[in-house]
Amino acid sequence: MNVLPFLIIIPLFGAFSMPLVKLISEKLRDIWAVIISAVTLGVATDVFYTIWKTNQIVVYTLGATTPLGKGVGFPIRIVWEVDLLGALIAVTIAFVSLLAIIYSLEYMKHDTGLDKYYTLILILELGMLGIVITGDIFNFYVFLEIMSIASYALVAFRNDTWEGIEAGIKYMFVGSLASSFILLGIALLYGQYGTLTMAYLSQYITREPTFVSKVALAFILGGLLFKSGAVPVHMWLADAHPAAPSSISAMLSGLVIKAGGVYAIARILFSIYSISLNIKAIGWIVIFFACLTLIVGNAMAVVQTDMKRLFAFSSVGQIGYILLGIGIGIAAYGTKVGDVALAGAIYHTVNHAIMKALLFLVAGAVLHQVGTKNLNELSGLARRMPLTSFAFLVGAAAIIGLPPLNGFASKWLIYESSALYNPFLAAIAILGTAFCTAAYIRVLFTFFGKESEKVKAAKDPGKAMVIPMILLIIAVIIMGLLPWQINDTIMLPTAKMLEESGKYVLAVLGG
Amino acid sequence: MNLLYATLGLIALYIYVSFASLLWEGIDRKLVARMQRRVGPPLLQPFYDFLKLMSKESIIPKHANKFYELAPVLALAVSIALLAYTPMGFAPLFATKGDVIVFIYLLTLIGFIRVLGAISSGSPYAQIGAQREMIILVSREVPMMLALFTILWRLNNIGVEKPFSLATFYQRNIWELGTPLALIGTFILLVVFLAWLASEIEVGFFDIPEAETEVAEGPMAEYSGRHLALFELSNAIKMFVSASLVVAIFFPWGISAYVGLNGIPALVVDVLFHTIKVFAVLFVSMSIFRAITGRLRITQAVQVFWLRLFPAAIIGSLILAIDLLGVIA
Repeated sequence: MNVLPFLIIIPLFGAFSMPLVKLISEKLRDIWAVIISAVTLGVATDVFYTIWKTNQIVVYTLGATTPLGKGVGFPIRIVWEVDLLGALIAVTIAFVSLLAIIYSLEYMKHDTGLDKYYTLILILELGMLGIVITGDIFNFYVFLEIMSIASYALVAFRNDTWEGIEAGIKYMFVGSLASSFILLGIALLYGQYGTLTMAYLSQYITREPTFVSKVALAFILGGLLFKSGAVPVHMWLADAHPAAPSSISAMLSGLVIKAGGVYAIARILFSIYSISLNIKAIGWIVIFFACLTLIVGNAMAVVQTDMKRLFAFSSVGQIGYILLGIGIGIAAYGTKVGDVALAGAIYHTVNHAIMKALLFLVAGAVLHQVGTKNLNELSGLARRMPLTSFAFLVGAAAIIGLPPLNGFASKWLIYESSALYNPFLAAIAILGTAFCTAAYIRVLFTFFGKESEKVKAAKDPGKAMVIPMILLIIAVIIMGLLPWQINDTIMLPTAKMLEESGKYVLAVLGG
Repeated sequence: MNLLYATLGLIALYIYVSFASLLWEGIDRKLVARMQRRVGPPLLQPFYDFLKLMSKESIIPKHANKFYELAPVLALAVSIALLAYTPMGFAPLFATKGDVIVFIYLLTLIGFIRVLGAISSGSPYAQIGAQREMIILVSREVPMMLALFTILWRLNNIGVEKPFSLATFYQRNIWELGTPLALIGTFILLVVFLAWLASEIEVGFFDIPEAETEVAEGPMAEYSGRHLALFELSNAIKMFVSASLVVAIFFPWGISAYVGLNGIPALVVDVLFHTIKVFAVLFVSMSIFRAITGRLRITQAVQVFWLRLFPAAIIGSLILAIDLLGVIA
């Protein structure tokens, strides 16, 4: 039996049943959210395992057994098409979402309207899962909007604070603009080619690449760069992440900018456009934004005094590495360097989701226990909150890329490939890491320094907040101990599968 | 089985290096005392110091956090791990291609753990010392890395088994190049390395973070008893390891081949000969430098690194690179 639809059915069911479950009891509502996301993780793992084992792209057609229409040779239905990349990101999404939901049991205890909160968080998860499994470009847009709207609402969830509302409005206005760019791009593509199935579209564009298809790509890429927080359009991120509840920041920073941004860019460039355009030029466009993102994001992180804002800028910086990997993967398409860069980018996507989620959960714990996220007031936290400080130490070391932790291998792949492709890019990447190191060491010094008055009464948070952090620490360490095995067995095949756009097309259209 | 031998080798190396490095400290103190017309302590003084510190009560400051007690243990653990990657007259135990990065990383990590331990104590003296150490840390590694990578890259070009491994020095060495240009470049880099060594073990000009008379031992201000002993030991090992690196790059010759030994005796002889070379390098870079120079201010030290040593490293590297091009005979 194909379990793929349950990846959408279960969170959808969970979200829509939440208002009813809440009527029974508040306790059940919390447990219900955890159960739903745990089952989703199970399904995602199963999908991933199946695809990884068979090395086949899974295609699911809504409403029929075949995507092709009766008597015609082209797909007429919505298809879901999952390759290794989609499945890998889906597992990451389900994993981090589960931890964020467990974390919110305690973290959100003092807020009201929690049935809406859990509904929204499940819808957010649903939207992201939809983005990574869909093979239909309009369906992709719908899921992107589901994700975006849920995240607008969640950023402004604490609507009694001025910063929540401010960040929410900012995010919503520019986010809607970006979404409409994407919609415009899709409309142009549909007008030109008359189809919305990604695989069929890819075949069509290859056959007759028109000017319109390039304009459409520009619109879509612009919109997606916004969603991923690339530099000229990163300003929403630095406001939205600090203002959101920390469990949501962990999902926004770990997942939303990856699923709705980086994953979608990779999918559209590789699966729809790669064989039809001047890929070298496209690659360099992505690399250009990547370098800008790397430098600006990491450099801005150094000067922040607000902990969550610092992490948000650091997320921007890390997105730069991922984009750099993807850009080199496109520009050096089909070579060994390109493979390595792409594998590094995919690896870093997963790694960064885990470690940035960990860091935001740490920030949430500090905010929850001490009541401030201003770094100048937080010195000497390690004495009162040893576990939280340890979690921060692990997360920060991983994000800088210290060898026994998971960030090392993925960054190494990106450094290595960029040095082989163009040493100048490697220099920029190293410069970004230097800034990143400076930023995190500054926070580390605050954590370890002399105790300030504010933190005197602080202590480590309760179980529901500590367990997700411990699970993430374990994930960081285990992935750090087996970096090359993971790279060879998972990341390289994923990169290969993404590059073979012919297979992606054939999976839908048949041989 | 191989892993078992490597573990045994690492333990043996650890015991030997702890002994040799503490012994050198005794010799160094004796030599410096003689240079200043003093009798000086007995040769085994550092061992007495170590034992005494181990037996003393260790006082934990009220404001210290968990990492304060963890840092000395971690520092020693990292320095022991570092021994597995250090050339000791023979190729490092865990030599693989690219292990030079692990070496630099672990060497830097010891300094960083010291800094973290210092700020964990909550004492302002330690804080100031830690800040200074951090500044020195980021300044001193740059010229060293540039010089080291250039030499490894240059050796890689004349053909080695494991590129960018510290084991390559025992296959080919930099003097083999033989051209006048290469000799000049190598000499410049040798000077850079000797200065780096002095700053790595913080003597002479670079005794800045510890600065006994100025900030009361700096990072180590609050440490006492066992914890201080562990730090002293890890510092001694680090000193030996840093000097071993310089010896391996510039003076890697062994004598076992000349006297016709092989197997275990050859290893022992090579290690002993390596130790003598390490002592010789340390004599230049540590004892003499310590006896004849005073401390710089932190700003001056940073200038020395960025305006003297770093340009010197660049020039040395460029000369070696030009030599590879072969444009000048």
